[in-house]
Amino acid sequence: MLTGNAAAAWGVRLAEVDYIPIYPITPQTEIIETLAGWISNGVMDSRFVTMDSEHSMLTAAGSASATGARAFTATSSQGLLYGFEMLYAVAGWRVPLVMVNVSRGLSSPITLEPDHNDVLAARDTGFLQIHCETCQEVLDSILMAYRLAEDERVLLPIFVNLDGFYLSFTREPVEVPDVEQVRNFLPLYQPKHAFFKASQPMAQSAAVLGGLAYSYFKYQMHMASQNALAVYKEVCDEFETGFGRNYDTIEGYMLDDADYVLVMTNSFSTLGKAAVNAARERGLKAGLLRLRLLRPFPVTDLKAAVTGKKAVAVIDQNISIGKGGILHSEIASCLYHEKHRPLLLSFIAGLGGKNISPDEFEFIINKMVTGADTEDAGTAQLLYTDTEWQEMGRLKGMAGKG
Amino acid sequence: MYRVRFHGRGGQGARVASKVLGTAAFLDGYYAQDFPLYGAERRGAPVAASTRISEDPIMERGVIPEPDIVIVMDETLLQDPLTMPLSGLKPGGIVLINTTHSPAEAKAVYKITAQVITLDITKIGLDMLGMPILSTLAGGVAARIVGLSEDSLKAAVEKVLSEIITDRKLLDKNVAAALYCFNAITPAKIELKTIDTNKKKSTVISLPFEPAEISSPAINATGNTPLRMTGNWRVFRPAWNYEACTRCMICVARCPDGCILVNEDGYPYTDYDNCKGCLICVGECPTNTLGKVMEVHAKKVTG
Amino acid sequence: MAGNGAIEGDGGKGVKDMGVERIKSIKGIPPEENVLPGTPACAGCGGLLALRHCMKALGQKIVIVNAAGCFTLLTIYPYTPFKNSWLYTAMACAPAGAQGIRDALDILIKKGRLDPDEDLKVVVLTGDGAAYDMSLSSTSGAINRNLDFYYICYDNEAYGNTGVQWSGATPFASKTGTTPPGMIRPMGAELVKKDLFAIWGSHKPPYLATISPAHPVDLINKFKKAEQYNGPKLFIALSPCPPGWGIDTSYTVKLAKLAVDTGVWALKEAVSGDLKHTVVPKRFKPVEEYLQVQGRFAHLFKPVRQEAALNKIQEGVNEYWNRHKLLL
Repeated sequence: MLTGNAAAAWGVRLAEVDYIPIYPITPQTEIIETLAGWISNGVMDSRFVTMDSEHSMLTAAGSASATGARAFTATSSQGLLYGFEMLYAVAGWRVPLVMVNVSRGLSSPITLEPDHNDVLAARDTGFLQIHCETCQEVLDSILMAYRLAEDERVLLPIFVNLDGFYLSFTREPVEVPDVEQVRNFLPLYQPKHAFFKASQPMAQSAAVLGGLAYSYFKYQMHMASQNALAVYKEVCDEFETGFGRNYDTIEGYMLDDADYVLVMTNSFSTLGKAAVNAARERGLKAGLLRLRLLRPFPVTDLKAAVTGKKAVAVIDQNISIGKGGILHSEIASCLYHEKHRPLLLSFIAGLGGKNISPDEFEFIINKMVTGADTEDAGTAQLLYTDTEWQEMGRLKGMAGKG
Repeated sequence: MYRVRFHGRGGQGARVASKVLGTAAFLDGYYAQDFPLYGAERRGAPVAASTRISEDPIMERGVIPEPDIVIVMDETLLQDPLTMPLSGLKPGGIVLINTTHSPAEAKAVYKITAQVITLDITKIGLDMLGMPILSTLAGGVAARIVGLSEDSLKAAVEKVLSEIITDRKLLDKNVAAALYCFNAITPAKIELKTIDTNKKKSTVISLPFEPAEISSPAINATGNTPLRMTGNWRVFRPAWNYEACTRCMICVARCPDGCILVNEDGYPYTDYDNCKGCLICVGECPTNTLGKVMEVHAKKVTG
Repeated sequence: MAGNGAIEGDGGKGVKDMGVERIKSIKGIPPEENVLPGTPACAGCGGLLALRHCMKALGQKIVIVNAAGCFTLLTIYPYTPFKNSWLYTAMACAPAGAQGIRDALDILIKKGRLDPDEDLKVVVLTGDGAAYDMSLSSTSGAINRNLDFYYICYDNEAYGNTGVQWSGATPFASKTGTTPPGMIRPMGAELVKKDLFAIWGSHKPPYLATISPAHPVDLINKFKKAEQYNGPKLFIALSPCPPGWGIDTSYTVKLAKLAVDTGVWALKEAVSGDLKHTVVPKRFKPVEEYLQVQGRFAHLFKPVRQEAALNKIQEGVNEYWNRHKLLL
């Protein structure tokens, strides 16, 4: 039994990471404390340094990676934003840093529990993104992440994302792979493109003036990220061969014959699967699609999975203020040219860790059914229940907002 | 529409010249747009600025690849392979050169086919302002070439300069110098030929993927900035008279750019390909080995 | 060489052999040029002159970690003036980049994946904007961890790369783009320059120095001395800046000398906190001689002489040298 955070630490240990610059932030801190303990006891041969901020932490991690070491770091919400400048920088260096983000809602108001605005804010940086539902998946994804990021066709940094609290602090059974087996899967990192050594001087991250060169470098990053889709499939197959667990870019749950599809990411997908079961008991052909790889976006896999369905409801645990659900927008753009595109509904839910109750899932599925009948997707629905409204009224009263 | 490109050196006033012209055009009732082109280069380095003037709303932005009029504020730029101030100049367009040459001489020396007007603005600047800052002067000649009014030019110089300097006397001198330049030239008629049909069209390609070993913004070459040849920044050059040289090495120690080398006999000499002409060496030389010569004259002497 | 912040590593402030070979005159300056010409730095750049000598002292087996500033633009694709390695980070975090590289080199050597001959000295290169303001957090962390690195600040007393605005290094009464002298504030900058040497000193690093582009012998000998110490090594170079200071390009060295001769810029070093002034003028020139040749102080003399401001500057200089019992 391991928490999501402990599973992440195990992934780092098994990947035999060289360098771990860190900075504490809830709910990520357990990862770095676990690693600190192992390094202190000598069971892990890595260098571990507490930096002065996430900005410095990301810089140190990226710089070590640019020197040729295998580096790891982790953060969450405010910390991710504090270091944000360096996400673009490190991605531009084309170094395969693996970074765990433990999702947590963003201030203001400051909060602790999860939603995905933090990691999705980084979606344009050049970092690849893998989002996890289970603790096992967290461990496995870190191993896959190094393989993917260090592949010469890719060479971009990568996020492994897990929800704060609902995964980070949640214990469940996790199988810890054998280190020798991991070594077979994940060879030593020996970069040809980014290193520092006396015999071969290299000026990394040079300034660029003029759009001609700037566009070239940015386009190459995009193409490398696109390459990662095919490389991911190879990594995925090899991982399944070695460890017996399969993680495709998307995961389908009762999806093949489904008419009505929930689209979710991360740990609350488990709740969505339960809702699918409940709907099936009601005689509705419901299914769930969980997006696992968010960058690069698995356009082809997504299209193949949902075209021809009657309705798809995207449940965004994020909100782009003034637009709506981020994933809804991304999925809509993928499906625009599909002849048999499904009706696409948008729901905002689970902000700041707010629960999604079975009643709300039932509401969503009913909306899909009626929407499909009337061919009307409606507008984005901010999920909030009458009991929550009443409770909020009580809080407002206590705050003197009578 | 007239598209005017100013070429000068950082600190010479190309940017302000483009503003003076833009403001004067605006005051004459035209649509106008002016902007500087920033690079990494600093004081002394070649810079460019542009002004567009039109009777209709301007639907262009960014660099002017094909100007109708080019104002060359520094003659030495004409021979600079990296600046190429006349590049893209339209057939029938006009180039004004700040030089002591006559138009015929300039056309011959610099092998220019376009219409050439010449005026020694540097001398006017030194005489009337006491310094070689040529912004309002270049603005003045440009205003005349495009056919703007004297009143608008005067008002434009007042307006633009009052935002930069507080010295009223200097401002008045600038107005006078701008008007002097305005009246000192006889502009040629701009006779633009119709669109060049031989122009090669660009083709949009599918960019090939290249691995990070090639496509990361890292430089595997070392010490290659001398290829940039910053020698073209110089207005004055350090000149050597070795009779007094004691090989003290002070000049070598004082050069920020490491452009003073030492020959086999221990005598220092200048790397003119890269020397930016700061002249620290001239001031620091304890003997009279080093002096300064204006670059245009040095070029004439050495060919 | 990560220090007390690290779980691993000894963190000791080891001192090598104390025998230092000093150079005696400018003829002893190493002839190798390690920053080549052709950079986009301004003609007469005082910072570049200081850097050129620093690089002669450091040699080629180094990696520069560059903070955002004028010198970002030394390396513009596809050109670099350096024969050594280089990494541009961002404004706030060059010392953190130095940490990552130093640690990575140590690990790779320790694990046998990098030949010890391939090792590099790690050098942060920063302007005063980053050094005095934005990167204090990352710098404090690096010094506290006793990171083995050189830290070179070319201090031109303003945000120069953005066109000269006030920074924490801007001296009192200086005119910059954001401290324009006016009716309400005739003196320009109201605040006094931060004391970066003291900020560093409070962290007790093994070696601190101020340097000047006009004193290359002193500069190079300081690097030779610093080389003996493991840990953070600070070098602040007061760097006359022709566009920022309003001086002719040929005046850079003159101004750098005047700064020392008037006592405005104290050339000093501190070895494990033991402070020593390395160049002390026999007789201090009046500060006015330094101020009146600079455009950034012109408003102190014209149209009306600002006596109070001028006195305050001279008194500040006197107070410093009195405190160190060196004012003759």
